[in-house]
Amino acid sequence: MRPPTRRFIALWLALPALLGALFATGMDPRALPFTGHEQISAVFLLDGQAYFGHLEDVPWSGTITLRDVYYFEDARKVMTDLPLALVKRGNELHQPVDVMRIRRDKVLVVERVNLDSAVGLAIAAQRALDRVAK
Amino acid sequence: MNDVIRIPRRTLFLAAGVIVGMLLVLALVMTGVVARAADATTVAGAAVLKTQQAAAERDVERAYEQAVEQVRKVRALNLAITAAQADAIALKAFNDLKALRHSGLLSLGQVLGLADADGYATATEQRFDQAPVSAQPAPTPVLLAPRLYAIAARMSELAAQLSDQATTSLTAPAATPAPTVAPSPSRTPTPTARP
Repeated sequence: MRPPTRRFIALWLALPALLGALFATGMDPRALPFTGHEQISAVFLLDGQAYFGHLEDVPWSGTITLRDVYYFEDARKVMTDLPLALVKRGNELHQPVDVMRIRRDKVLVVERVNLDSAVGLAIAAQRALDRVAK
Repeated sequence: MNDVIRIPRRTLFLAAGVIVGMLLVLALVMTGVVARAADATTVAGAAVLKTQQAAAERDVERAYEQAVEQVRKVRALNLAITAAQADAIALKAFNDLKALRHSGLLSLGQVLGLADADGYATATEQRFDQAPVSAQPAPTPVLLAPRLYAIAARMSELAAQLSDQATTSLTAPAATPAPTVAPSPSRTPTPTARP
């Protein structure tokens, strides 16, 4: 049996990898790792709750992991511009650490959050305020 | 008859190296190290913070104005208490609400890291006294950062408490001599059927 030639490797390994990368870039260039763009994900659960944060999704795991987690809170009783507010997870009574594991079968949708969206800007502002506080 | 397959030592080292490398990459991916290393974090610039600050100021002022308006409306009613009593209650509520607004704006200044937070609070109060939020056109809605929302929420809650308290005091019945309670026989306990 002949060892794989350079042509074989180029045709069946390098070319598909290149095409895959180009396709992914065409879909969302900012999705590529090590590009300096933050990736905030919105995870919508079957029960209607939504969480925002940095998603770690390992295919063979039964759970997905969110870090730096935020969620919406009803703010209809507060005199704000919007009837909902963004809250950072961690200030609850049990003061959870900044890692949240969610069962994969409870997830309805995972979406990428635009950094220029209201949620993206509020999270960025929170970080700036956190820096001021330090 | 046994065939002996001889594998060169160099190939063995190469194969072992590849396997170790793959395991290392797998471990880094599984523990999320790669994801965390690849993910940057965005911090808001001055323009975004300015927008957030303006929205938070509006929220504090809006809570103040709504509470003041509630007290004012109740004071305008025909009340059972005397006018002097009503004025005293309303004045105290207005002063408390002003102090609360100053405190809210002061907290805002501190969270934003302003050097003269007290001066900022006073200046903002004066600006809103001249141009109330209720008289301004509706601004573009802003989703507040959690730290700023916490201040706005607390301000809203306390302002509502103060105005409700003033409303209760203003609408209380006029003080009349307490009627004497006539003694009445206590109810006699009735036996209950037990299963």
